Amino acid sequence: MTERSSPAQQIQSAFPDLIAKYPSDRLVQYRVDKSRLPELARFLHEKLRGRLAVLFAVDCRPLAEKYEIQYLFASGSDQRWVLLTIELVGQDRLFTSITPSVHAAQWYEREIRDLFGLIPQGHPDLRRLVRHEHWPKGTHPLKKDFLWDKTIGWQQGEYRFRHIEGEGVFEVPVGPIHAGIIEPGHFRFSVAGEPIMQLEVRHFWKHRGIEKLFEQQTLTTAIPLAERVSGDTTIGHSLAYCQAVETLLHIEVPRRARYLRSFLLELERLHNHLGDVGAICNDTAYTLAHAHCSRMKEQLMQLNDRLTGSRFLRGTMAIGGVRKDALAIQRSETIDVLDRIEKDFSELESIIFANASLTDRLETTGVLTERTAWDHGAVGVVGRASGIDHDIRRDRPFAAYDEVPVKVILYRYGDVRARLRVRMDEIHESIRLIREIRQKIPQGPIVAAADHLPQAGDWALSAVEGWRGEILYFVMAGENGLIHRCKVRDPSFVNWPAIQWAVVGNIVPDFPLINKSFNLSYAGNDL
Amino acid sequence: MFRILKKSLKTGVVTGQYPEAGETSERLPPEAHEKAMPFRQSLTIREVDTGSCNACEMEMNALANPVYDIERFGIHIAASPRHADALVVTGPVTVNMEHPLKDVYKQTPDPKLVIALGDCAINCGVFKGSYAVTGPVDRHIPVDVRISGCPPRPSEILRALEKLREGEKGQPNLAGR
Repeated sequence: MTERSSPAQQIQSAFPDLIAKYPSDRLVQYRVDKSRLPELARFLHEKLRGRLAVLFAVDCRPLAEKYEIQYLFASGSDQRWVLLTIELVGQDRLFTSITPSVHAAQWYEREIRDLFGLIPQGHPDLRRLVRHEHWPKGTHPLKKDFLWDKTIGWQQGEYRFRHIEGEGVFEVPVGPIHAGIIEPGHFRFSVAGEPIMQLEVRHFWKHRGIEKLFEQQTLTTAIPLAERVSGDTTIGHSLAYCQAVETLLHIEVPRRARYLRSFLLELERLHNHLGDVGAICNDTAYTLAHAHCSRMKEQLMQLNDRLTGSRFLRGTMAIGGVRKDALAIQRSETIDVLDRIEKDFSELESIIFANASLTDRLETTGVLTERTAWDHGAVGVVGRASGIDHDIRRDRPFAAYDEVPVKVILYRYGDVRARLRVRMDEIHESIRLIREIRQKIPQGPIVAAADHLPQAGDWALSAVEGWRGEILYFVMAGENGLIHRCKVRDPSFVNWPAIQWAVVGNIVPDFPLINKSFNLSYAGNDL
Repeated sequence: MFRILKKSLKTGVVTGQYPEAGETSERLPPEAHEKAMPFRQSLTIREVDTGSCNACEMEMNALANPVYDIERFGIHIAASPRHADALVVTGPVTVNMEHPLKDVYKQTPDPKLVIALGDCAINCGVFKGSYAVTGPVDRHIPVDVRISGCPPRPSEILRALEKLREGEKGQPNLAGR
């Protein structure tokens, strides 16, 4: 087989007049005219198998009188991101939708319309997404002339759900407040008898204006906010944010700090995965496994508390490194607890899979096919259970993962069982990683200082494989050290639309089980 | 079957294996004790998230695990506000959740308690001032008890609930261990 040329070379040969820019060695950027973008996006997606990782807009005022829209693609064959940038200059508010050819763009483009008032022409579904119908017309909070603390008025309006009509077809509304202790979101099922014909997810009840709140912070003070984007992913989000700022400030993070970051990220993955394994079993009414898992999870949360003073590992990240040298304080205790939990969990695994009635509920339930997962750009646990071989820790290593390589867990069936298996195997893998980190961790400083100030308009991109999947941050510096724009992309945002397809044909009582096996964040999605 | 029994015997009783919450000087308002009187032996909670970061939810869920086992104090978690004695509200109230919250409050039968859980529910925390946040919980519905922390540890939530039901003069807790 001849060596495949890199995506950058292929783009160059197909579009010879484009000029490539290399803002960093991991990124190639093309500034294109907005009329050519759909063609280029389609080429990237279809010919080069590029996954749309994030799509967002930036209001460049007051630096320049224009909007920029950024399309970030990840291509499987190359470690480099491809970033396409278009500009809407002056009073121009229109851009061409790429949703007809790149399905994954659907929510992003609706989000841009809601938050910036820019209209994606040709988008098949222009209902509101983030702004619920009661927000007055013309409320576009991420525009620079919208005050961050403005009080939003109230207008009459009703969201129009997609209806299926016919004899024996009825609708089941669920939420926004659910029966369990979970976050608010609305699900509208169309069912004929038990099987689900269609599910429509209506979210953004928890929209707190996080991206606007970031713009009120300076680069160095925004970590507490990043930690609270999605509380269960404290480390994932704060690490992704810190990495982006470190790129802006030209900070080289010390090796020891990078190891500690990997350690904390794996600790977070462990307690969340353990909780999920138990919760999935609980939703099949197998409460024994749930009790054991939540007991182990509690042990880990208490360990977190002893190591860092926070059960959610809060306050550990710092720009340039980490704040607390967790591993040095009680190193042997950590390993003792993890050894016990691994043994404990292995025993539980064999009990779980010896239970035929449980595995019967899990198998072939909530199948997300590889094709559907790919079309949505599904990431993380959900993607890896459907055969999408993608893990930032291996593909674009950050923290210490270049020196402590990860074995990526991959399953193909895309059912609840596959998602459960991915989590179980990742629990073992995380424990193995923590052991390896402990062996290899070097001595040295844990935080580095900045000696560079970014110009207004400088930007950086960072990616972290949190326990749910790929977390992306785009941070643009503004005047006086403030943040001009911070785009947060939690993995839940791409996986939520995919769940609508995984439930089709399943019975309504299986929905909680399928939802739990995805276990997506509402807070991280709604922002 | 044998494996399951062996596992249970090996694990033993884990209830109560958690560090006690540190003492705080926070005192509950006397009216709250008064209102909690009918629920001294049994309290049913409905949790409502109005925009939290979901850490408070995780800690509420932790209360039900075998280590804290909140049911041993006669505290249950209900699936519907119509079955609840107390609403536990977490997070700042977002513009989109303002109406659902008021709705839930109306649906909860009297007498009822409202507990604001976590800093965000008490003062909006890091989300204070945002265009999408309408204010803390007590701007919309009357709040009886406030449990601070970001998020409060399960042991701290437990202690607050116990204190609430102890009665004003520190009478022994009828639902005690």
